[in-house]
Amino acid sequence: MADAAVHGQGEQDTRGFFTRWFMSTNHKDIGILYLFVSGFAGFIAVAFTVYMRMELMHPGVQYMCLEGARLTAAAVGECTPNGHLWNVLITGHGILMMFFVVIPALFGGFGNYFMPLQIGAPDMAFPRMNNLSFWLYVAGTALTVASVLAPGGNDQAGAGVGWVMYPPLSTNEGGWSMDLAIFAVHLSGASSILGAINMITTFLNMRAPGMTLFKVPLFSWSIFVTAWLILLALPVLAGAITMLLTDRNFGTTFFDPAGGGDPVLYQHILWFFGHPEVYIVILPGFGIISHVIATFSRKPIFGYLPMVWALIAIGALGFVVWAHHMYTVGMSLTQQSYFMLATMVIAVPTGIKIFSWIATMWGGSVEFKTPMLWAFGFLFLFTLGGVTGIVLAQAGIDRAYHDTYYVVAHFHYVMSLGAVFAIFAGIYFYFPKMSGKMIPEWIGKVHFWTFFIGTNITFFPQHFLGRQGMPRRYIDYPDAFALWNYVSSWGAFLSFASFLFFIVAIFWVMLTKQRTAPANPWNEYADTLEWTLPSPPPEHTFEQLPKQSEWDKAPGH
Amino acid sequence: MPLKWDSDPKGAPVQAGAFSHGPGAPALAHAVLWPHRSLPRKGMAGVIGFAFVMILIPMLPLLGSPILWGLLPFTLGAVWLLWFFLERSYASGALREDLTLWTDRIEIVRTNPRGPEQRWSANPFWVRVSMIETGGPVDNYVTLNGAGREVELGAFLSPEERETLHRDLEVLLHRLSR
Repeated sequence: MADAAVHGQGEQDTRGFFTRWFMSTNHKDIGILYLFVSGFAGFIAVAFTVYMRMELMHPGVQYMCLEGARLTAAAVGECTPNGHLWNVLITGHGILMMFFVVIPALFGGFGNYFMPLQIGAPDMAFPRMNNLSFWLYVAGTALTVASVLAPGGNDQAGAGVGWVMYPPLSTNEGGWSMDLAIFAVHLSGASSILGAINMITTFLNMRAPGMTLFKVPLFSWSIFVTAWLILLALPVLAGAITMLLTDRNFGTTFFDPAGGGDPVLYQHILWFFGHPEVYIVILPGFGIISHVIATFSRKPIFGYLPMVWALIAIGALGFVVWAHHMYTVGMSLTQQSYFMLATMVIAVPTGIKIFSWIATMWGGSVEFKTPMLWAFGFLFLFTLGGVTGIVLAQAGIDRAYHDTYYVVAHFHYVMSLGAVFAIFAGIYFYFPKMSGKMIPEWIGKVHFWTFFIGTNITFFPQHFLGRQGMPRRYIDYPDAFALWNYVSSWGAFLSFASFLFFIVAIFWVMLTKQRTAPANPWNEYADTLEWTLPSPPPEHTFEQLPKQSEWDKAPGH
Repeated sequence: MPLKWDSDPKGAPVQAGAFSHGPGAPALAHAVLWPHRSLPRKGMAGVIGFAFVMILIPMLPLLGSPILWGLLPFTLGAVWLLWFFLERSYASGALREDLTLWTDRIEIVRTNPRGPEQRWSANPFWVRVSMIETGGPVDNYVTLNGAGREVELGAFLSPEERETLHRDLEVLLHRLSR
């Protein structure tokens, strides 16, 4: 029998630094760790691109030389182009961004921190497994960075096969850098699958009493749908890359055409994972944006139920459209027609979401606080990327645009700009909650406007380059493409400067500001459960189940 | 509410001095208390079925190809993991407390998910029920004091539920003449 324990409840955090941050099983601490590590990985991945944009600024090769990578431009004739280094940086950027930056920030960071709070759960269902997920992710990040430096193909460091790791390129790449990259993706997969199961169990079994499925806040719903996408898509990728590994090391020929394997089948499997992956990247962003827009329009979100069903529909449709990434592999006309139509159908639930956000603002009292600016940026940029997506979905038009900068512009608009703007909206929205400190508005505004202008100058001209026919994944280009590449590079430098400003500013705020934020620093339309807690929340929250009156504010219920 | 009485605690008063536990008479009242879990069992069957069917979609086109055997362990492994951890989550909520009352004996049996069963019993004549509204480990902390020990009851319930529990217990014990 549990003997009664009656004593004063002077709860205070007595854990030391090492115990708190390295052995943590607390969902809030792990969420913060995810945000920091993904920010660090993001910095590496962004640094790669800045170097690439330096190289692409002018025709010819000035920086990535066989004689050695340089930071100052080489004179004509001094530099032999090193295509391998270029390929390695592209691969590193892709793998880091796809697996180790955006998903850990949105799903691991915000998901871990806020999903249990929003549903009134005391912690994740499996706190120690949560810790395991995080450290698997850290190990995967370390392996990815190691793979860039380890001996690879062309007797140089790193694997230059692209993040998709298509065979026979990946099966023939020399050295063991490729193996490290595959292991890194394995670890990321294991981490994400364990994390997803944790999220699904928490969501299903630990909701506050009375919180039926269709009363759960939209961000938690988006995390739940994302968890399902991860659970169903990542095992497929893990299987595929395991076969790549045996093809490389044990002489099997699952995908190696030299032994009767089918490399196109690998592409099908990869994209069966890869398309849900892009929704894994963006869906939690949808959730954050919903809360930000509702809060700063001072209105409940328009059409809660359609918003939930749109999330589910986007998730489900994401599984049946994968081959639009590979129209040119030689599919039948019927197959291409199907994938084209299915792809365009996704515009319907996405449209429901976009229009519901606009309808939320309609007639509301819109306030341009920093999180709302980022949400506006998200809305505009994601829609723009979505529209070029409709263009690319046309199998016929895709023949012209496939593997051009048009595709690069498209997926950076939806993922780099869409998802990253959602992350920043989340950071500015939730920073007072997580740290108890307010970020001065001017920091957010300077950061937003430089980043918004910079990223648009970077990626919008890439549409023009794509329409001119500039192919992607090359270190050099003919003079005809010089102008827009030059503009694009300046945009990248401006965005990078903005990112550096943000890093410095956020550390300055963390180190110098006082904890002055009230429980709810925004307004009464930030009405989910996390805003009922003090800022920052205590170590243990909702050990007693919350009352329905604390969270049930939606008039539609 | 995760608290269920077999009979209404507000019944008629009970005759004094009726020893009923010893002769094996039926209990006067019995309640089961368990922690809140929001997923019903049928829901779990649906979840596993859904995961299984969805993950078969990429498998079906691979029938007849050796690739199938490369993917199958991973996809089925994921479904198994989901099942395993949902079961674990239920197991952590398999905690229950049984409260049984006779005229001459009150007993609480706490069945823990992992670890031994815990028991406490006392003569209800001497038992004191108290509720500590604030300052306890949880609000409205209900404890029973008797047979030299003070034990908690329903610490996993919500504060309002413990308030009801406390009221019911008081009513019930007052029905015994003491």
